[in-house]
Order: sequence, then structure tokens, then C-alpha cells
Amino acid sequence: MGFLAWLEALPLSIWVHESPSVWAQPTILTLHTMGMAVLVGASWVLDLRLLGVSRNVPLASYRWVFRAVAIAFTVNVITGVLLFASKAATWGTAFPFLVKMLFVAASVAFLVPLRTLVLTSGPEQVEVAGNARFLAVASILMWAGAVTAGRLLAYLVP
Amino acid sequence: MESITSVDTTHLHLLLNHVPTVGTVAALALLLLAIVRRDEMLKLAGLEVIFVIALLSMPVYMTGVAAQHKIHKMPGVSDTAMSVHQDAALTGFTVAEFAGFVAWIGLWQSRRRGRAAPGVMTAVVVLSATSLALMGRAANLGGEIRHPEIVTAAASAMDPAQFVTAQISDIMVNSPWAWPASEAVHFLGLSLSIGVLFAINLRILGVMKHVPFGDLHRLLPWGMLGFGANLITGMLFFVGQPGQYLDSAPFYWKVVFLMVAGANFLYLTVFKRSWAAGAFTAGFGDKAMAVLSIFSWLAVLYGGRMLPFIGHAF
Repeated sequence: MGFLAWLEALPLSIWVHESPSVWAQPTILTLHTMGMAVLVGASWVLDLRLLGVSRNVPLASYRWVFRAVAIAFTVNVITGVLLFASKAATWGTAFPFLVKMLFVAASVAFLVPLRTLVLTSGPEQVEVAGNARFLAVASILMWAGAVTAGRLLAYLVP
Repeated sequence: MESITSVDTTHLHLLLNHVPTVGTVAALALLLLAIVRRDEMLKLAGLEVIFVIALLSMPVYMTGVAAQHKIHKMPGVSDTAMSVHQDAALTGFTVAEFAGFVAWIGLWQSRRRGRAAPGVMTAVVVLSATSLALMGRAANLGGEIRHPEIVTAAASAMDPAQFVTAQISDIMVNSPWAWPASEAVHFLGLSLSIGVLFAINLRILGVMKHVPFGDLHRLLPWGMLGFGANLITGMLFFVGQPGQYLDSAPFYWKVVFLMVAGANFLYLTVFKRSWAAGAFTAGFGDKAMAVLSIFSWLAVLYGGRMLPFIGHAF
């Protein structure tokens, strides 16, 4: 509890929370949403490919997904940490927030084997192994859970 | 930025409100001509016009609600007549959006297989004719707003809570889950739409160079699915709490960029070059279009997310 209170009392945390500037919480939250759209959207595009949408496109053509994901994920870690710090004592003890983080962790965990799959596939390879379809379904559902839980935080955590 | 809210929405409504009626007459005429002449190009033109009408119907509806909020206290204006008109308009709007959606499916199919399925063409004609009838009725009821003397006795005896818009608003505001659930769907939808459009526009900008454009075209219906979910949930918010949006500069910009993004979506659907050859390099115009598309979608997201913070707080 001491750590959360200390984090929330940092000048930067107070600025994010209290500043009337549009560059404080509003912009950080908007960047977090844009990062979410690219992160989740790019992941879903790959997941859909593994499930048979645009099935003629070689898997190796989807390498860009992981660059987009890396950039968007970096943006969301930075903005996420800032948003967390601005209300650390609240978020750090809220059960719905833990649920969201578990969904995010699971989503990112599923991206690791998906990345290996894309990076190791041949330049013309279009066939998808059966277990990759399982990964795709899991990835779609975990991201959906993360987005839903994240949006509902505004209502579940006062 | 604030100056955009000083647009005279009442006059804008009177200007735009001809699009769903007159526009649909023109679109249906094009489609009927196309069917009689068996002309595929004319058919595409008719479908494109119906899609554009569906897009423009959004600001028609929204400026109408803005006009109502501005003039409802004026003498000689009937509040009941406005609510009757608004309910009729929402019904017409809903059918017009379905017509635009099915027209888009027809365009997507034409791009892939050379022609739209006959069932799709029939559905477009039926939905557009229905939308025209409903919009015509809404337009007629709109004319009564300035003429309280011709408002029928039945209408003036109506309980304000009976109106469909009032009932939607009641659910959205008073249900503990309707608004949050719609927000969650809205965010899932925006992720799907932006992911799909990001992928297709990156292809035009030179990523995935060796992938034929036609293969990625398959993704577009998924982008449309996200867009559809967001149109429905977005309208629930707007009908639920119009006061939150009517004086809000980010909301005006959001609708402006939504029109740009929607036109770009149409362009990506019917886009001719690149289909024949496997690998293609986009020209400057197409690349500019791709950049504009990514920018517009992010601007739509920005306007939406900034709603509570810029302009006026709620």
C-alpha cells in the first residue's frame, strides 16, 4: 500500500490526474485508445487470416503485424503506466483492473507463439496448422476480454 | 475549433434533408434503368449513390435533432410535431442504413465476382423503396412543425413518453448496463474497423508488396462489421443523450471525418487498379488516399474519445 500511495503522490501522477490541460489525462487516454485499436486490430487481422480470411496470402506477409503490435504496445505500456500512477491506490486494489490485466497478459502470451509461427513460415506458405487456429480463437477472445474489461473499468471502479 | 459548433444546424438540416428523399428517387431510377438496360456500370453507380445517401443520412438525422433543441421554445413551433417527425425520421434512417449496407455488399460482390447477387439487388431495391416511403413520410411530418394548426388531434394527444426516441433514451439513461455494454461493443467495433483499414491501407502504402490487393479485399466485410456495430451503438448514445453531443466541437469534427472515412471505405471497395496484376505499386493518388484514410479513422477516434474533455464537459 505504501508503494501505491507513493506512486500516486509523484508530481507526474498528480499532473495527469489534476491538470486541466488537454495534454494531461485526455490526450493520454486518447493515445491509449489509439494504441488499443492498432494493437487489437492488427492482432485480429492476423487471427482472421489464420481462421481462413484472405487464405491466399502467405503467412510471411503478416510480419508487419508484429511491428505494428510492438509500437502500439509500447505506446500503451507508457500511457497505461501514467494512467495507473495517476490513481494508483484505486487501480492497484480494484478487482476489475486485475481482470483486465490478466486478459492483456493472456493476449500478449498468445502473440508469442503466433509470432514464431509467422516468422518461421516459408515465403509462399499458405497452409495453417490446426493448433494455429486454436491460438487464433484464443487470441481473438482474450483481446475481446481485455477491451471489454478495460472499457468497463470506467463504470466498475468508482 | 469551437467555431464549428456555430454552424447553423437548422439551415444545414433544411439543406441536407433533401438527400434521403430526392437522392433515393435518383438512385432508384438509376437502378431501374440499370436493370432494364442490363447495364452493370449503371448498376454500380446506383449502388454507390445508395451507399453515399446512407452516409449523408447521419448528419441529416443529427442536424435535425440539433434543430429541434434550438427551436423548440420558439412560438409557432409544435413540440409534438417535432417528436412525431423525429420518430418517423429515425425509422426511415434505420431502413436507409440497411439499404446502404446491402448496397455495399452488392458493390463488394461486384468487385470480386463481376456482379452482385440477384438477391442482393432485390433487397437493395426493396429497402431503398421502403426507405423512400418512410423518409417521404418523415419529410411530410417535418413540414407540420411550422404549422401547428394541421397537426392531427391524435398526434397532439400523444404522451411524450410514447415516442420511440424517448423510449430508447429512457433505456440508455436509466438501465444500469445498456450504456456500459454499448460502450464496450463500441470499443470492440472500433478496434476491428481500424485493424482492417490499417492492414488494407498499409498494403497500398507498400507493406505486403507481393500480396494481390484482391486477397486483402476479403477483409473489408470485417471492417464493415465493426463499422456497423459502431453505427448502432453510436446512434444509441446519440438518441440516448443528444444534449451531450449537440454543442460539442469534437462531435462535429467526428461526424465530418466519418463522412471522409466512409467515402474512403467506398473507394477501397470499388478501387479498380491492382486487381488484375498480382503485385502492384500504388500511385501517388492512391497513397494519398491511404494516408487520408488512416488519418480520418484516427480523427474519428480522437473526436469520440475527446468528447468529454473538449468543448463542454458532461
